[in-house]
Amino acid sequence: MRQTYGKLLPGMKLSDLAGKLIVVEGTDGAGRSTQINMLRPWLEELGHAVLDTGMTRSLLAGEGIRRAKEGNNLGRVTQSLFYATDFVDRLENEMIPALRAGFIVLTDRYIYSLMARAIVRGMDAGWIRGIYSAALVPDAVFYLRLDVEQLIPRVIFSRGFDYWESGMDVFPGQDMYENFRSYQAALLAEFDRLSVEFNFETLDASADAKLVFAQLQAKVQRILDRDSKKTSFTKVYDQAAAAAGTYGGHPVTLPRETTSKQSDWAFHPVAANLFRENGRNIPEHT
Amino acid sequence: MNTGSNMRIGPFEVFYPIEESAPRLRHNGDPSLPGRLFVVEGIDGSGKSTQLSLLHKWLESKGYGVVFSQWNSSELVKDTTKLGKKKKMLTPATFSLIHATDFADRIERSILPLLKAGAVVLCDRYIYTAFARDVARGMDRQWVRDLYGFAAKPAVAFYFRVPLETAIGRLVTGRDGFKFYEAGLDIGLSDDPTESFRLFQGRIVDEYEKMIPEFGLTVVDATLPVEVQQAQVRQIVRTHLERAKELRVRP
Repeated sequence: MRQTYGKLLPGMKLSDLAGKLIVVEGTDGAGRSTQINMLRPWLEELGHAVLDTGMTRSLLAGEGIRRAKEGNNLGRVTQSLFYATDFVDRLENEMIPALRAGFIVLTDRYIYSLMARAIVRGMDAGWIRGIYSAALVPDAVFYLRLDVEQLIPRVIFSRGFDYWESGMDVFPGQDMYENFRSYQAALLAEFDRLSVEFNFETLDASADAKLVFAQLQAKVQRILDRDSKKTSFTKVYDQAAAAAGTYGGHPVTLPRETTSKQSDWAFHPVAANLFRENGRNIPEHT
Repeated sequence: MNTGSNMRIGPFEVFYPIEESAPRLRHNGDPSLPGRLFVVEGIDGSGKSTQLSLLHKWLESKGYGVVFSQWNSSELVKDTTKLGKKKKMLTPATFSLIHATDFADRIERSILPLLKAGAVVLCDRYIYTAFARDVARGMDRQWVRDLYGFAAKPAVAFYFRVPLETAIGRLVTGRDGFKFYEAGLDIGLSDDPTESFRLFQGRIVDEYEKMIPEFGLTVVDATLPVEVQQAQVRQIVRTHLERAKELRVRP
């Protein structure tokens, strides 16, 4: 069953969250949204319902955070808690309902980015972990890793330096460039620590986006396969019934290729029961 | 990372070094701040705001530099809280977090710098309000306490204790009806707003009672005449201010 990092919020039920929670993490400019924009249509083509979400997209606090960041008076504790509000609103109102409905939830950043940012801003690591202890443990965290040196050209030749991405509220550097380097390096160091603690799967984000995507596809596919083996009880039951030649009292015609494999089911608990119920001999395992 | 930033809060310029927030978070407030913080707590209708406003006027008349801060009043955050309440979007968790965000903004930009500058700060409701309400909504007791670990410890936290029926009697005559979250209608104790209010406030009183020994709240009997309560409050506040050095004088 799905778990949280320690705490349950009031009314939070974990028993029927059948979907998959997949996190894409990485520093600013690592290509997270590019990858999510490719993952989503691919998964939908495979027939999966997908919800994608990310920081400051909550109905409750998204707008408030954007407005607060426009000014020059958003403090560090306030910022950390505003983001926590945004996260929990999306957790409770988007991610959990989507998982319950069997969706694949793709999230652009998760609690790890929020923790890294808060810690770099001087917040106590235990304090911020405690706040996010009600977050769900995801099925996978793909960490798109990029060194500061590799990151800089991506930023200067696309959107330029941003006040917050340069940590201008934290570092008393000479200019945006100096600050960007110090801030992103500090974030990266924190991410590297978190990647061990929280079992990130690290991908080299300096590689071509298509290559990164191919790696992500393979990794996501594995999660989906693992799921179909582990939980698709009905599929096993159907096959077992087919092997036993009956299902709920009705004879089942066996396709030729499964007939020869009857004995494979002999030791399967579901199949064994079916054989017994129908008074048939369990075939010898060959 | 050694330099901080100069903040101008009202008449005071405060040096606010950057690296201090981490230990402050761990140690739950810094008692060495030169200013003094007094807070009032209690359920709606306990008369705490009346008492605080009388205290405020008295301190000003004595020449102290006094600043007042109200629960849920951050300019940066209150629009979000308002949206959440109006659209009934808040769950117990987001209700808790958005109020903590509001409180953090007031702590960071106002309360802490003012205490560093040697002001007397008065708060109508403080972290104990959050502890009482959030736990009454089902939040984990320890989680909420940890959440507010960055708060400054008040010199005195007054708890105005009043029987539930007295408080409700004062409120019912004073206004028409209860608001959705105020009555705890979000947690479904009862469909009737007055009944829900009664049940919800009952839970809050239980939490306050537990906090009296836990945090050393100073209990004031809020059924006594206003003047008697105020005399008690002033006496306690006076002893704290006499001991304090470096307090600001009102310009």
